[in-house]
Amino acid sequence: MLLRKDVLVLRRSPLLLGILIAYPLAIALLVGLVASYASSKPRVALVDEDNLPASVVVGGKRFHVDRTIRQASQNVKLVRLSPEDADRQLRTGKVVAVVTVPPGFIASLKGMVRSPQLELQLSRGTISSRVEQQVQALVFSLNRRLQRAYIASNLRYVTLILKGGDGSFLGQPIDVLGIERAERLLDAMPETPRNRRLRDFLHDARLALANTGDALRSTAHPIELVRAPGRGRTWVLSAEVQAYALGLTITFLALVLAAGSLAAERDENVIGRLARGLVGLGQLIWSKVALAAAVALALGLAISLAFGIAIEIGGVAGGEPWRRLPLLVVGLVLAGACLGALGALLGALAREARSASLVALLVVMPIVFLGLIPREVVPPAAWASDVLPFAHSVRFFSAALYDLSPWTSVLREGLWLVALGVVFGGLARIEARRLLT
Amino acid sequence: MSRGTALLAARGVARSFGRTPALHPVELEIWDGEAVALLGPNGAGKSTLLSLLAGALEPSSGSIERRKGVRVGWAPQRPAQYGRLSARENLELFARLEGEHDPEDATRRLLAEFDLPGKAAPSANLSVGNRQRLNLAIALLGDPEVLLLDEPTAALDPEQRRRLWDRVAALREAGGALVFATQNQEEVERVADRVAALRDGRLVFAGPAADYDRSQTDTLFA
Repeated sequence: MLLRKDVLVLRRSPLLLGILIAYPLAIALLVGLVASYASSKPRVALVDEDNLPASVVVGGKRFHVDRTIRQASQNVKLVRLSPEDADRQLRTGKVVAVVTVPPGFIASLKGMVRSPQLELQLSRGTISSRVEQQVQALVFSLNRRLQRAYIASNLRYVTLILKGGDGSFLGQPIDVLGIERAERLLDAMPETPRNRRLRDFLHDARLALANTGDALRSTAHPIELVRAPGRGRTWVLSAEVQAYALGLTITFLALVLAAGSLAAERDENVIGRLARGLVGLGQLIWSKVALAAAVALALGLAISLAFGIAIEIGGVAGGEPWRRLPLLVVGLVLAGACLGALGALLGALAREARSASLVALLVVMPIVFLGLIPREVVPPAAWASDVLPFAHSVRFFSAALYDLSPWTSVLREGLWLVALGVVFGGLARIEARRLLT
Repeated sequence: MSRGTALLAARGVARSFGRTPALHPVELEIWDGEAVALLGPNGAGKSTLLSLLAGALEPSSGSIERRKGVRVGWAPQRPAQYGRLSARENLELFARLEGEHDPEDATRRLLAEFDLPGKAAPSANLSVGNRQRLNLAIALLGDPEVLLLDEPTAALDPEQRRRLWDRVAALREAGGALVFATQNQEEVERVADRVAALRDGRLVFAGPAADYDRSQTDTLFA
């Protein structure tokens, strides 16, 4: 009866309901944008102490320096700075790393005898490891381009050994007989056991050198990463975004609704009337938990259906948006109920509907952001998040919708949500007595 | 000869809010067919005593005793109803919660009796007087034997006051009882059999209404 009443009251407040639905969706979108911005290119200073030329020839291949750096630095934004400016910007955090090209770099590169070195300075902080990875990726990309030139250069020497002819080595002109020409010379000589041994050797050498290209390439790349055709989802349609959008929307809605509607019983002076034997305080808390679960289910299903339709229309592969809906229903109800219990606790503590709604609003963001911080980055944030429903809800939704075998995750997170719901509900029941004063 | 068990009784009942005592231990019995007026200035503890008798508040000490099977109706001073629900919806909801056999019928009856609008407008939009009528109508759901009314006539027009007292008279004739808080001496003289006067949370007078005169009221409110 109370749940029916609460749903009726909610229906009578279309503006409030609209805001309650639109606001968290807008926040989810903003969080998504911020998250995508966070993975954008970090700014890295490039200090050129070797006066890099416009182009350089390595292994007979010409490299346009700026173009090559631009092509190789897809994951970082490289900005050329003086050593002093780079140092200052690193200290102030305007750049996250400084890559220095030391004097003699190009000479070492052209010599192809000793590996030239780049120097890397990193800022302190949690993203330094990520920046180091990005810079390593930049060096890896440059190395790949140079390796191709080195291999091509080495293969020219191999061809020279095979075919013979004019060439140069360390800047000195050379004339090479070559295996093929040596074989032809041997053919013109009388057949003797020593000639036959030489001919066999030249035959074996020619066969072996014929495979040098592949051997060099496989030595340069013992493991080569080949990009397979076909694409994954854009981040907008990714499993993570759907799970977070569901989690954030439901967290916001369930907390504010349960907190506000419980405190409103006191504001409307009805709680005394209910508490004198008509409805126990436990039943009252339960009705708010049920309201939060029902609204979370309705809204969560609506979001999932919209998401599934977008995926169908977009022809995006991956995930099973329809088959897993029953499992998602369980998650939505558990998450909504658990968050409703927490909201009821906030409502009982705040006692007034306005204060309760404000407290719930203020509490939503820390709960959500605690759940977004990776465990390996700030472990205490993850411990705090463990005793709050948001992260468990998100993991439940993600597993329910996209894990190949979701049962272990779903069971673990479901038990967390039930346990937390019981604790918050119990505390809300104890604190609800404050509403009677 | 023993009179049996009181319909409703406060046994040394007291209530504090935090460290502030709102009501010191009070002894009060309400018997069949009688009307008890609670008198006292603002903050004397009348509403707290009525809430305790209704069971809407838990006593800090002492207890409330209720004769077995006795039903109690309560109308607090500030109307207790859902502002976004209409008068009809409020009555139907509380009729169901009170266990009325036919909630729709009880609703229709009370809407007519209190001359309340049956349309779907939220009760928050009703006039102060109509909200108080709805408050009283809700208190009458479930056919209570004891009515606890906190300044029931404060926002009612003369016609509605007359109807209310007629209803109370019928209840008393049927063996029910009334406890009402008021600051209106005329109502005390016209309705009450007994008076319980409170001041600063203490019961300063309890006895027949006839023994309580206007001079005591002047002292009480001084």
